Amino acid sequence: MTTTLVKVSAFFVRNWWMTQRNTFTFFEVAVWPVVGLLSVGLMTTFLRLPGEAVVFVLTGTLALSVVQVCQLDVAYAVLFDVWSKSVKHQFLAPIDPWHVAVGAWLVGALRGAAVFALLTAVTRGVFGVSFVAHGWTVAVAFLLGLLLSAAGLGLLVCSLLLLCGLRAEVSAWSGVSLVFLVCGVYYPVSVLPQPLAGLASAVPLTYFLEAFRAGFGFDPVFSHPLGWGFALAVLYLGGSYLILAGAVARARRTGMLLKLSD
Amino acid sequence: MAMSEPAVVVRGLAKTFRTGWWRRRHQPAVCGVSFDVPPGAIFGVLGPNGAGKTTLLSILATLLVPDAGEARVLGLDVVRQARRVRKRINLSSGSTSFLWSLTPREILDVAGRTYGLLARVRRPRVEGLLDRFELTTHADQPYNELSTGLKQRLGLAKAFINDPELLILDEPTVGLDPDVAVRIRDEIAAVRRRGRTTILLSTHYMREAELLCDEIVFLRAGRILAHGDPPSLKREILSGDRILLTVDGPVATALDGLPGILAVRANGDGAECAVDDARKRLPEMLRHLESQGLPVSEVQVLEPSLESVFIELVR
Repeated sequence: MTTTLVKVSAFFVRNWWMTQRNTFTFFEVAVWPVVGLLSVGLMTTFLRLPGEAVVFVLTGTLALSVVQVCQLDVAYAVLFDVWSKSVKHQFLAPIDPWHVAVGAWLVGALRGAAVFALLTAVTRGVFGVSFVAHGWTVAVAFLLGLLLSAAGLGLLVCSLLLLCGLRAEVSAWSGVSLVFLVCGVYYPVSVLPQPLAGLASAVPLTYFLEAFRAGFGFDPVFSHPLGWGFALAVLYLGGSYLILAGAVARARRTGMLLKLSD
Repeated sequence: MAMSEPAVVVRGLAKTFRTGWWRRRHQPAVCGVSFDVPPGAIFGVLGPNGAGKTTLLSILATLLVPDAGEARVLGLDVVRQARRVRKRINLSSGSTSFLWSLTPREILDVAGRTYGLLARVRRPRVEGLLDRFELTTHADQPYNELSTGLKQRLGLAKAFINDPELLILDEPTVGLDPDVAVRIRDEIAAVRRRGRTTILLSTHYMREAELLCDEIVFLRAGRILAHGDPPSLKREILSGDRILLTVDGPVATALDGLPGILAVRANGDGAECAVDDARKRLPEMLRHLESQGLPVSEVQVLEPSLESVFIELVR
């Protein structure tokens, strides 16, 4: 057990040290999320949306920023090695892909929580609405749902990197936007055209957004959104992990581990 | 693994890379290679670029899965028992690279964690390696600010973090200044003297292989061309010693038929002779040429080297 924790800590401290020294960390955690929140929030002011609608829209911005930051950290577990051409050293050690994933996700969870806290404070200060108005339990459940969803997305990015190499790098930044398109980021999923609405019901983020917004008086399209959200998120996390484990095994067969280290 | 059992057993190992999405291309890298590595030895894997050295070493390091054949490292199958193999081996290559912002101390600490080393074991080991590889003064400098030599030494230090029983070194001195390369060779020799670690070494430098290796395989196009210890390889491949003679006259015909002379080739104003034993044959040759009225103005006995073996093999 202790050995397992030490192995997980390898990827936690590694990503944590890299995060501390990365100039982009400040932009990823503070600048871009706040810029996104302000621009969307000011648009709601211009459109003279009522308070509930402002919360509805800003919840989307909050979710997008938290998931983006957290999944990026999970993706960094492989991306840092791809960029520094040190992939083979990681997989030479007697570790399992989940040691890598959990260690990296813990850093992502910390950074995601920091983004959540920062955007909550900015929303309250600038737009006069609070994401924690209906209690911390609802907010924490929402945050946990976002972080779990981010873990699944990050693992998929890691898998793509190991399958396709550096060509898949772009998925670390663009994948989240595609998912948020169908999960009702700034609108209820009921406005989506039929094929996309069907897809939305299979995305855990849809349920987490619905559950959180329900606290602000918006009737959810789906029943028991939180329960469904967590069930789907755990299911996808398991599926993403299996895909990652398969991608690592394939990379050992095809020589991709070596190619990414040259 | 019993003490007498080979540290590495390779039987009919083969690997072909498949490239291209649309039109699949098949590129054989290792084709049915077999050899044993005795425990505690330094075993050299030599060959020209594209010979399959890195592919072979990567299979033994469990980074690559072979298509056919079997490889056992420390008594364990590299495919079926890969995880157990990984605990007991390590690798350093000339192209080793680490995360750019981390310092040598952090890189070694992270590496130690990936082997599950607890802090009470890991910390003194990291400090010990920094000291042993003369990295202490650079221990807190970011990796991307280190010189090539320091990076290479760090790569080697990292390979000792789990105190491996098998150390795989893939061109560890490539691109290094001679003084740094000498220090790395000294460290490899010191590991051999300690006797616990078996080393698999691939190198382009024949002199390095000659200095360090107990046994050598020459690879070309994924196949073993020659296998043995350096002295026997030189004897077998080069067929004896070489003597260069500078003589004014038809020396090649004059030497024809003398005992112990394996081959004579006219070479400018003299001849290059292959003999079974230079010490024994040279006085006889000089006496014979003198008696034929062909005085020798210059003699050069060429010490056979692995480099000559290599050139002969790839010719």
